[in-house]
This record gives sequence, structure tokens and C-alpha cells, in this order.
Amino acid sequence: MTQVSIGSLSDFPEGTPTRVEADGTALCIVRVGDTVHAICDDCPHAEASLSEGDFLADDMAIECPLHGSAFNLTTGDPDCPPATEAVEVFTVTVDGDSVLVDV
Amino acid sequence: MTIALIAGSGMAGRAAALTLRRVGWTGEIVLVGDDPEYPYDRPPLSKSVVVGTADMSKVIKPAPEVYEQDGIDLRRGVTVTVADASAKTAELSDGSTVAWDALVLATGCAPRQLPIPGLELPGVHRVTRLDEALEIQSVLATGPKHLAIIGGGFIGMEVAAAAVAAGHTATVLEAAPKPMSRPLGPEVAERVLQWAMDRGVVVRAGVGVEQVSGDDIATGVRLVGGEEIDADLMIVAVGQTPRLELAQQLGCEEIVGGIKVDAGMRTSVADVYAVGDIAAFPSKWADEDRIRVEHAAVAIGHGQVAAEQIATGEGRYDDLPSFWSDQGDLTLNVVGVARPDDEIVWRGDHALPACTAFYLREGKMRAAFSVSDMKTLRGVRKLFAAGVSPTPEQLADPAVDLAALAAAG
Ligand SMILES: Cc1cc2nc3c(=O)[nH]c(=O)nc-3n(C[C@H](O)[C@H](O)[C@H](O)COP(=O)(O)OP(=O)(O)OC[C@H]3O[C@@H](n4cnc5c(N)ncnc54)[C@H](O)[C@@H]3O)c2cc1C
Ligand code: FES
Repeated sequence: MTQVSIGSLSDFPEGTPTRVEADGTALCIVRVGDTVHAICDDCPHAEASLSEGDFLADDMAIECPLHGSAFNLTTGDPDCPPATEAVEVFTVTVDGDSVLVDV
Repeated sequence: MTIALIAGSGMAGRAAALTLRRVGWTGEIVLVGDDPEYPYDRPPLSKSVVVGTADMSKVIKPAPEVYEQDGIDLRRGVTVTVADASAKTAELSDGSTVAWDALVLATGCAPRQLPIPGLELPGVHRVTRLDEALEIQSVLATGPKHLAIIGGGFIGMEVAAAAVAAGHTATVLEAAPKPMSRPLGPEVAERVLQWAMDRGVVVRAGVGVEQVSGDDIATGVRLVGGEEIDADLMIVAVGQTPRLELAQQLGCEEIVGGIKVDAGMRTSVADVYAVGDIAAFPSKWADEDRIRVEHAAVAIGHGQVAAEQIATGEGRYDDLPSFWSDQGDLTLNVVGVARPDDEIVWRGDHALPACTAFYLREGKMRAAFSVSDMKTLRGVRKLFAAGVSPTPEQLADPAVDLAALAAAG
């Protein structure tokens, strides 16, 4: 596992999923306040990029833009079909202004 | 050692096997599939696989080593030929006999056979198995082709849309006057058809195919009335019928064309479960006593519940049924149980890029159909979960927040 810098806090607008590549892994990044979440950008169900989906603040989840499974940002679990598998969740460290992800 | 035998390694059978271990079953798991491939998802076959854009690690899943790690005895390319309820045994085509304590029937469907001459010619394809989809992929990879697709259901329309989006041309031939009317109702089906045609798919509805033309290789089809349609390849997607042979040997009760089960996926025969496409199951979301649906998410849910029942004696399937269909750049999502004669209420205008239609029966919302309208779809799921059915006026008005209605109860 390596810790990779993916930018500074201001690169990630509040509640707006953003796709970044970290060490060859495509991530979907969402900032909520001073906390930054990172999940795999690739929907485990089919061929969708989760960063193109919506952030659901009430559920703390990202909704897949294709078939609507919403993945919890902490557990990675989908809340409804068709996805049945969890998406990988990555550990994020915010150090001052810089955002680091363990990939 | 207790043994759970699963007949059929498709979407429901695979889910049952994987779930058994997850819920702590320590007995043996024997997963038998007549398909020689490792278990795979079927939906991508008619979408990304035929045109070669699929990430195969998401089609064939889980990774093959998972079966070994989980201690699942996966027998690929093997058929369960005989099942006996009183001896609790099954005979397999590899010559072995399995003495089971629990038996899960997950045999899915077989493609419907049409009495059309020429269907056996090379150049005529099906898209129900991975090897068949890969065959189509290898033909389409050699350059632009014209496809004649016999059958205008979801699968035929998906192949047509994917092929056209990839630079091929496609003509869909459908016997019914209004393709997709049964699952979507005539009004919504007409929209979906129009969108496909707007994208360049040629649809000929209400036509009969008399024969596949060609001597050594199929060169096209001849319609009733004599018209010839030339094609580089033909795809037959005319529906399917449940494979009930094993269930019938066991003496399982049948209803609505499938095997009757309770909410725990138990058949009328002790320790025998039926899941997926073959299961006729009770659903609080339907008016009928039992329904049978051929959709992936339902099959997976069934498999999971059967596994829980076997391992723990608990678990009920009462999910809101749902399915999706990707047709080129269009993604259709349907939640709930729609009937073709339901009343349709559109939310706002029924124009792309995003729209939703609701299915109402006796004034109550029974299902929703949505294209790229995720917010409404989520609201609909919340309404169903809360047991709230808004008025037709509320449903029709895009300014009404459905999730808020659900929360208000
Ligand atoms: C091309 C295609 C596209 C689809 N697209 C969608 C979609 O977009 N959305 C959606 O919701 N659903 C879709 N579906 C439907 C969905 O895939 C099925 O509902 C689901 O696969 C059913 O699961 P099952 O396990 O019941 O059957 P299957 O997945 O068909 O598996 C049954 C397996 O059992 C095997 N078998 C049968 N008898 C025996 C025996 N005696 N011994 C050993 N093995 C046996 C069969 O060979 C098969 O491998 C699609 C289906 C197809 C074919
Ligand atoms: S691709 Fe994400 S839910 Fe289907």
C-alpha cells in the first residue's frame, strides 16, 4: 500500500464527486466539510463511473448514474439492487491542506 | 457432512453458493453447471459483450479462485441429469452421484425453439450464453456488419442498439405488432421503440419470418409474403422457457409456468428450493398469488434467501422487484410490478434525455419506468418503502418532491 497525494482540499468542491487517478487506480472523491471520502470510481455492477453520479447527503452515499444503486461512503455497501457487491473504500488522510489516499 | 447441492450455476445458483458460506454454512457445497465457463453475469452479454466493450472481469465473477477459497465444489460443464426426492440423491453427467441434504434448483430458462427452417445454418446466432455472445463479438470485430435480429424483446433491442452505436446496422424483426408491450405496456413500449428508431435501429413489427435463407451459410431471412432481408449475421432472441425437468422429476408443485415456492424459496418438496427464472414466488408488490420474473436482481435475491434458509432456517424474499435494460446510450430502469393494462402517468413531458412514467392500478402506483431520471427513481423507491402512493396529479408534477412525500408518510 502506498500513500499518494491527490491534491489539496480546495480541489474538491463540497459534495461534488470528482474522479482522480491515484497510482493507476481510478477513485471517486467526495469532500463533506473537512472530511474527504474515496471509493473506487468503477461501479461494481456494470460499466459506470461513480463520479458521474450524485452525492446523496442524507444517505452519505454516491448514487450510480446508470442503475441507481447508492454506495455508502464509509462501508462501500450498495443500498438497493442491481449492485450486490460493495465498492472498495480507501483511507484518506487530510494533512493541513493536502489530501492523501492509501491505494 | 451435510451437503447442499445447487443445480445450475447461473446468477441465482452462484448467489446461493456464495451466500451459503457468507452466512456460516459449514457443510459441503456442490455447484453444478452445464456451462463450461466459470459463472458469469448474463445481462452484459447482449450489451457490452457482443460489441467487445465489456470489462470481462466484471462479467465472469467472482474471480475463479474464490470458489476454491470458499470451499465450493464447482463442477463446470456438468449436468444434473436425475434428481430423486425420496432417496435425496442426484445423478450427474460426470458419472457421480451426490447425496444431498438440501437441493437448490437454479436451472434458469432454455431458449424458445422456433419452427423456422434454416435456423441451424452457420451465421445464425443466439445470445443466451457467454460463448454465443463471444461468437457474435468475433464476427462484429471484423468490420461493419448488417444484423437481422429475430425478436424485438429487450434482448433483441439491446443487441440492435449496441451494434448500431458501434457502427453496424441492424434490422429487428418482431411478430407482435408492438414490441416490448408485455413488460412495459403499449404506451411506454412505443416510446422506447421510437427512441431506438431515432438512433438508427430499423424495426419491422408485425412481420413473420418464414425461413432463414442461404445454402451453407445464412445470408438473410425471408418474411411471410416473400420479402427478402439480407444480413451478414442473424441473431435469434425470441424468448425462453423455464427448465423444469428436474423439478418435475422431484414432483414439485407448479404454478404460472414455474415452480411454486414460499417466501423462503421452498418448493412443495421437503428440502428442495427453487430460485431465479424458474421460481413462482409470492410478492407483496404484486396482486397475484405467485409471480415469475426473469430478471437478474430477483435471481440473485432468491439465491441469497435460499442459502439463508438452508444455513439458518430464516430469510424471506420480499424485495421490490426491479430490472434494467441498457439500449445503447439509453438506460431503462423499472421498479415495481407493472402490468400491460396499467394506467400510465408521465412525470412532466415524456421527452429525453430524462423521463419517468408511473404505472397505476386502481389509482395506486404499482411500478415506475425511468430513463436517466435518477432523482425520481430514488423517490419512487422511497415511496414504495414507506408504503405511500401519491395522487396521479402529484406524480405528474415534476415540482413535487417524491422523497419528501415518502418522508412525510
Ligand atoms: C442476454 C441476456 C440479457 C439479460 N439482461 C438483463 C438485464 O439487463 N436486466 C435484468 O434484470 N435481467 C437480464 N437478464 C435476465 C437475467 O440474466 C436472468 O433473469 C438471470 O440470469 C436468471 O438467473 P437464473 O440463475 O435463474 O438462470 P440462469 O442465469 O440462466 O442460469 C441457469 C443455469 O443453469 C444451467 N442448467 C440448467 N439446467 C441444468 C442442469 N440440469 N444441470 C446443470 N446445469 C443446468 C444453465 O445452463 C444455466 O447456466 C438477461 C438475460 C439474458 C440471457
Ligand atoms: S452500473 Fe452501477 S448500478 Fe449498474
